[in-house]
Amino acid sequence: MRRTILFFIAGLLVGPVTAQHDHSAAPTVAWTQQPLLLPETGRRERDVARLRAVGISAPSVSVHAPAGDPEVRQREFTLSDGTARISSAAPQIGNYHWVVLREASPDSVRIASTAWYFSNPGASPEVLLATPKHELEIVPQPLPREHGQYRESEKWRFLVRLHGQPLVGQRLTLETEFGSRSQFVTDASGVATVLFPRDFPPPPTEQAGGHGRQSAAFVLSSEHAEGGQQYLTAFNLRYGPDAERGRSLGWGAAFGLAGMLAAAPLLRRRQSREVPHA
Amino acid sequence: MRKVIFPTLARFRLTVQLLMLVVTVYGSVFVGTYMADKLSNALPALSCAYDQMNGGYCVLIPTQHILHHRIGEAMVRAQQLTLTMVLPLLMSFAVFFAFFFVLGKAFCGWICPLGTLQELLGRVGRRFGIGLRRVAPGDLGPVQRVRPVKWLILLGLVFLLPLLTGLGVTPHALGNPYCDVCPARIATTLLTGSTEQLAVAVDDKVKLVLGGTANFLFGFIILAALAIRQPFCRICPLLAFNSLAQRLSPMRLVKTRHENCGTCRICTDACPMDIPEISQADGRKAYNEDCTLCGRCAEYCPQDGTIKLKWGPLSLFASSRAYYKQKIAAELPDGTVKPLKFVRSPAKAAPGDA
Repeated sequence: MRRTILFFIAGLLVGPVTAQHDHSAAPTVAWTQQPLLLPETGRRERDVARLRAVGISAPSVSVHAPAGDPEVRQREFTLSDGTARISSAAPQIGNYHWVVLREASPDSVRIASTAWYFSNPGASPEVLLATPKHELEIVPQPLPREHGQYRESEKWRFLVRLHGQPLVGQRLTLETEFGSRSQFVTDASGVATVLFPRDFPPPPTEQAGGHGRQSAAFVLSSEHAEGGQQYLTAFNLRYGPDAERGRSLGWGAAFGLAGMLAAAPLLRRRQSREVPHA
Repeated sequence: MRKVIFPTLARFRLTVQLLMLVVTVYGSVFVGTYMADKLSNALPALSCAYDQMNGGYCVLIPTQHILHHRIGEAMVRAQQLTLTMVLPLLMSFAVFFAFFFVLGKAFCGWICPLGTLQELLGRVGRRFGIGLRRVAPGDLGPVQRVRPVKWLILLGLVFLLPLLTGLGVTPHALGNPYCDVCPARIATTLLTGSTEQLAVAVDDKVKLVLGGTANFLFGFIILAALAIRQPFCRICPLLAFNSLAQRLSPMRLVKTRHENCGTCRICTDACPMDIPEISQADGRKAYNEDCTLCGRCAEYCPQDGTIKLKWGPLSLFASSRAYYKQKIAAELPDGTVKPLKFVRSPAKAAPGDA
């Protein structure tokens, strides 16, 4: 509750600042100024996703599939009231799709990107990630697998590239829904190793009955100027709490040892007789 | 050359098991992060989805998830069951069967990582002379008492509880109860160096009970496997799941009647699942629901062509007296290795046993 109030106050304070920003038409969130593609809340459908543009204005969103014919590899979905209803092009085309919103002006390009998992077996996203899709890109190396996710206290690698070429020494900023902010720099291969902060608040005393793993939004962003153009790119997704939060290794080991103790009498029995087959 | 590398069926099977242990536990290291998504999430073996390095997932995961998230919840929303709700479940079963068609229940005896681990522990037990516990020859009682357990686990933990959770009858923590008690989850993740699954959730009573049960089972099996062959396989719901389709796969065990059947019982001694029917019955009854198609009964049958592993009309392996003699010279039917033995000498028969 206290956090909600803090976010509300922060929103009131940040509001006037964002109102003066160039992108005042697009809604923003309190925890970042970066452009985002956020999933709409409410009932989720298996083959369809509703994504909301935040801090960025564009007429349509591009969805890149991991496989399929050229006409389905990249599809455009019109934004209506800042929201796009995207879908997978075909069954068996692959799980992860890359979603991009691009806002261009004569001297700048702003990109919001995210990945959407459609539970749609097929090609892996290796080629999808390896293929350049816009100017300045933040590319996960790799994306979390099914049943996996980014989690606090974990390190994940992200490639930053411009026009398909890795950017060395490029600064990458991580911001999370819980207010953490940290920076990382890409190495000689253009890859930054990002440490997700341990910033989840303690779980509420009364557990919510709903399902779905607890998670929060994060955004990685990077800026680069070249050839008179200013590029800004952002990649947002969700991360979860440390898997061992609320868990006890000690109790786990104790239960395991109890099982071993229960099985120990089996080892004390007399040896079996030799079977006279030889 | 083939006979030099794989002198026996057992050596060939061990090689396949170790290779598949690597694929199912560490597969992504060799063939890419996303291999699990590509290989399948409906494998007929306990390849755990909680292992983030593995090469494929067990069919029990999508079965529980679909019953919980799709069918149960959709029934609540729509008050009716439509094909689109059931279709993913049918797809999972179809993919499962596509794999199962090729190898049948050999997934249990040749591919399953937990089966391999138990078998390796059993070998350690035999090497160190730990007494083997098994049912008395010809005694169907203990085996038949245990057999329904795997069906009850399949019905209750894989089908019923996830569906009831989706319907809102049982708490969300019972959404995938079998995975929560599965010892393969702990074993395979520990093999990747992660203690995440060994830690039990203490912030939820239901999760604590399920996690505690899994860890207790894991501890029990690790030690029990030294003295009992394949202890978990006897209650494994995936063995029951595979049994449902065992007659539909061309891969099968075939046994014909021989005059010595029911008296020599070497095949039952060799069977890691202690299946009495393999020595007492023939035809369909000999290929029992507990069979994992490991082929040990065929290896140790001293009669030519009495027990066969077949794929359709092809005979992959057939028992023979010559092979039996070669096999028995190195290893007894119960797995005791000759002559090398660590720690203790072989047990002597008790006075009253003569």
